[in-house]
Amino acid sequence: MKLLKPSWVSHNGKPIFSVDIHPDGTKFATGGQGEDSGKVMIWNMAPVLREEDEKNENIPKMLCQMDNHLACVNCVRWSNNGLYLASGGDDKLVMVWKRAAFIGPSTVFGSSSKLANVEQWRCVTILRNHTGDVMDVAWSPHDVWLASCSVDNTIVIWNARKFPEMVTCLRGHTGLVKGLTWDPVGKYIASQADDHSLKVWRTMDWQLETNITKPFSECGGTTHVLRLSWSPDGQYLVSAHAMNNSGPTAQIVERDGWKTNMDFVGHRKAVTVVKFNPKIFKKKQKNGGSPKPSCPYCCCAVGSKDRSLSVWLTSLKRPLVVIHDLFDKSIMDISWTLTGLGILVCSMDGTVAYLDFSLDELGDPLNEEEKNTIHQNIYGKSLAITSTEAQLSTTIIENPEMLKYQQERQNAAQAGSGPGGAGLESTAPKLNSVMNGESLEDIRKNLLKKQVETRTADGRRRITPLCIAQLDTGDFSPALFNSVPILPGSSMPSQLTPQLSSDSSQGQASSLGLRPSHDTLLTSPPVKQSLLLTSASKIEPMKALDSRFTERSKATPGVTAVISSTAEKLGKLNKVKQKSETRNKEETSSDSEDKMAAINKNLSFTKRKADLLMDGGEVVEKRKKGRPRKDKMATPISQPFTQREPSRAAATPAPVAALKLPTPSIQKAFSLQVSMEPSVFLEVENDVSVVAGSKLSQLRCSRDGREWDTLLPSSVVTAAGSSDVIAVACEDRMLSVFSSCGRRLLPAIQLATPMSALHCSSHFVMALTAGARLSVWDVQKQTALVKNESLLTIMSGADTTVSQSLLTQQGVPVIGLSSGKSYCFNSSLETWTLIADKGDSLVQCADFRSCLPSHDAPVSSGPLAVMQGRNLNAGRLASRLSSTPHHLQQSMTLAFLENQLAAALTLLSAQEYRYWLLIYARFLVNEGSEYRLRELCKELLGPVHKSAATAWEPTTLGLRKRELLRELLPVIGQNLRFQRLFTEYQEQLELLRNK
Amino acid sequence: MCLSRFSASVTMAKVQVLNVAVLDNPSPFGNPFQFEITFECMEDLPEDLEWKIIYVGSAESEEYDQTLDSVLVGPVPAGRHMFVFQADAPNTGLIPESDAVGVTVVLITCTYRGQEFIRIGYYVNNEYTDPELRENPPIKPDYTQLQRNILASNPRVTRFHINWEGCAERMEDSENVDPASNSMLPPSCLPGKAPPLGLLPDNSMDCL
Repeated sequence: MKLLKPSWVSHNGKPIFSVDIHPDGTKFATGGQGEDSGKVMIWNMAPVLREEDEKNENIPKMLCQMDNHLACVNCVRWSNNGLYLASGGDDKLVMVWKRAAFIGPSTVFGSSSKLANVEQWRCVTILRNHTGDVMDVAWSPHDVWLASCSVDNTIVIWNARKFPEMVTCLRGHTGLVKGLTWDPVGKYIASQADDHSLKVWRTMDWQLETNITKPFSECGGTTHVLRLSWSPDGQYLVSAHAMNNSGPTAQIVERDGWKTNMDFVGHRKAVTVVKFNPKIFKKKQKNGGSPKPSCPYCCCAVGSKDRSLSVWLTSLKRPLVVIHDLFDKSIMDISWTLTGLGILVCSMDGTVAYLDFSLDELGDPLNEEEKNTIHQNIYGKSLAITSTEAQLSTTIIENPEMLKYQQERQNAAQAGSGPGGAGLESTAPKLNSVMNGESLEDIRKNLLKKQVETRTADGRRRITPLCIAQLDTGDFSPALFNSVPILPGSSMPSQLTPQLSSDSSQGQASSLGLRPSHDTLLTSPPVKQSLLLTSASKIEPMKALDSRFTERSKATPGVTAVISSTAEKLGKLNKVKQKSETRNKEETSSDSEDKMAAINKNLSFTKRKADLLMDGGEVVEKRKKGRPRKDKMATPISQPFTQREPSRAAATPAPVAALKLPTPSIQKAFSLQVSMEPSVFLEVENDVSVVAGSKLSQLRCSRDGREWDTLLPSSVVTAAGSSDVIAVACEDRMLSVFSSCGRRLLPAIQLATPMSALHCSSHFVMALTAGARLSVWDVQKQTALVKNESLLTIMSGADTTVSQSLLTQQGVPVIGLSSGKSYCFNSSLETWTLIADKGDSLVQCADFRSCLPSHDAPVSSGPLAVMQGRNLNAGRLASRLSSTPHHLQQSMTLAFLENQLAAALTLLSAQEYRYWLLIYARFLVNEGSEYRLRELCKELLGPVHKSAATAWEPTTLGLRKRELLRELLPVIGQNLRFQRLFTEYQEQLELLRNK
Repeated sequence: MCLSRFSASVTMAKVQVLNVAVLDNPSPFGNPFQFEITFECMEDLPEDLEWKIIYVGSAESEEYDQTLDSVLVGPVPAGRHMFVFQADAPNTGLIPESDAVGVTVVLITCTYRGQEFIRIGYYVNNEYTDPELRENPPIKPDYTQLQRNILASNPRVTRFHINWEGCAERMEDSENVDPASNSMLPPSCLPGKAPPLGLLPDNSMDCL
């Protein structure tokens, strides 16, 4: 056994009442008294475990401290899943904390200690019901409930899935309730109180199961806490302070009949805390020894007011080890690591101790499977909690494939939430740096101008603050429990930190206005004075002012303090100054260190004033030095306005009268690349020669280095091409189409009005004429897909113009309008269909971020993405700013995703369809929409048995539907709730494959 | 167990100030003060917050405190918010001439239901930028030449427990008198008079 007292784990000497190690073993929490409040601190475990980590200054020791409790914190407990920390204190409150994973390190504003909070834990719920100090809190197995007990004689059971909902309040104790423990099987909860009783309550009906009083009848209420504990096999409950023959003991209560025949004896004073090791052990097999089957046993640590700690194995009659004088005051709390080999103990004296055991000492810990086997042997399967539907984690996985996906999901989650949380955090910043397309920096730049300021009825200024983030509270719903946390605007502090530091460095650089130009003018600056004036940190002074920082305004103003210049005072100050320099910098906020600095400055200040007065030089020039600054400040603000206006005007194309589309002007010559792979260049030269009175134009094409050219009898206005076809429109409204080798494919097509836009894609040609009519031809089949269709339908507004047009690889024409809407012409329905609307509120509010492909998140590329553009990205983030309730947001996202799917389908964009289908399925799985999911699967699977009557197409957009379904199954497999659905469709797919 | 020192009506602070950025600093003395304040609110506040900027005209007496401005900020729903609090420079006529140059303090306070719950203080150094003026300051301060430098890197934050649910009356230590009532005294009242010695408050040294 190794013993260590990490001195750096401290609440500045104040008592530490509680300690708890995080389930992943990487950190631990302490709770206790702070300066003038309660304090919860989270510490890094690594420096406790390894000496080299302790010495390494780059490894943080303290991860976070929270001063939110108004009074002493009596208990801190991590939830079993490690996501939450619950704390209870003398302020009658239970607070539940959650890590804000995307917030970087930050200091507490105004705290002079530069110790940054490496992790950010935010209070997500405050549970108020107790009318007295909260003494102990405990999470039930699987984190279904949180229990808290108080000096108000009650125990409150909170619904941990729906904070702050209260399940029940257990009344019956007639004294201060000072300890709680859940039965590991979840059937009972036990409490111990100052009323000389230990009570066991049933979780089934929250009624009293048994009341044990005999061992406690002699007990006085002398201990701060009575933390009792239940053994991991559920067979024994061990109390804190009990008495046997006038000696303090820890009473062992057997589950079977609640018999009280045994106890742990030996402590000289009352037992404050008992804590079972989470592991069940079996005897270590000795090398060469015959493998004797040995009975598994448990291990238990007992802490007492006598300042000593004993560790017991239930297989031994005597304690394994007793450590005396570990602390100066009573032991308050004990926590085992999940491995069962380490133990943290904290004391009223404000210190903690860590004990490290070896397998030789404790034995071989059983693995979880063996432990479950023991549970099942004793209690049978039925005892695992099955009460709530939320209890998915105990659902038995029936399908091996399902198990695989579940494990994958867990692995991914673990990788993300590891010690550094690197996986999650590395992907986060880019998402966080923008808000609704606007960076925080932009918001800040214009905040003063943008913020809404009004006058109240009595003429006072009233500012409406800009809400930059909502709090991520209340997301305890099971649906979100497993999803990636979305932390609104949480990049704030990390962005502000550099800003703050640059503020200060700026302040130092321009220290007191001593600029380089001035320096050159100073011929012989007095040394003393330059010393005094070079750094901004010299500003601090004036002791007299310090009181102003900390005191509220007084009703009776009086002379508060003065700068003292008497020799006596100076001498005193000097002495103090020397003392202060030897002190460590460990103070916070309004502390003496700062005051010292202030006094030092005070000294220099009085001297400086004297210097200034003695030097009776003359003040002449540079009067205007101060002035130009103001002008400089003003100019950069006004600049953006003057510059932006013309550039914006230039960017938008000149508006055209309705239904008269702009036409390109004729150029003498132009060239363009129409295809990358193979690389095809077009070169047009108009009026190359005049033959028999008519001008000829030349079209030259270079395809992978091979060239061809042809002549046209009129000037070429515009040209377009793809890898398959080349199309040119001439001034005489003729459209000519050539093959990739220069062969004319169609006789010239006569258009009614001049060409406005011409596109080629694959073997399709699209023509948009100045008369706002659209045609698309399939050159290969020599058919028209769209016949001279008018844009009148979509260009209803007087001011709308065509801002973009394109032709997809599948021959679908797409028109983007200046109104932000994009349409495509669906040739099978013969209608215009809306595929994208930048002003759509669904786009703004849909939030499917958690459903994006996790690995590399390739943003889909295709006509839909082109038309929706970056607007879509903004939409993903907008949700964090809007205050839409969850269910509304859910519906909006669903509607948006279905729009996307339909649009991709209409555009015949197979890749985009697949991309959105996967996101859609992921969203349905996350949100638990079973009906939609089932319908989707049914449609993709189609009829298993072929019959002539079915109109089911086996493919969509060239994608095999059953292949798509096969891709969706892993997604469905990630939610255990859908395991029946998963199994059903998996089996049918297997069936079809074997056919 | 520490006995609870708070009455039942006192609850956790609902508003936390996350950051204050000092804008336009350093700047000429006559420029308005600008503080960009970021705060977080635990739950929707039914009433407005009141923010004040108080300029300490003289270290010697609160009489010279000037409330530069006070604004109401609201409505404040739960969440993180920011705003810029801009207030005009102090009235130079109310500053004792002897205290014009040198170090003083500017305070930002926030009250809810008439109770001050946070006080953020900054040291401010008013200095002539011109080295010659600095060496030989005019008897009558020339405010046009003064530069104000707020020591933005070292805010001093004091938080007070208040009753967030009720009004000021129920708090024992809520005699929160508006400093504005004292600030409008003419400067001639105590023109740089040396304060009596020996009146140093008791608590000023013993913490060392």
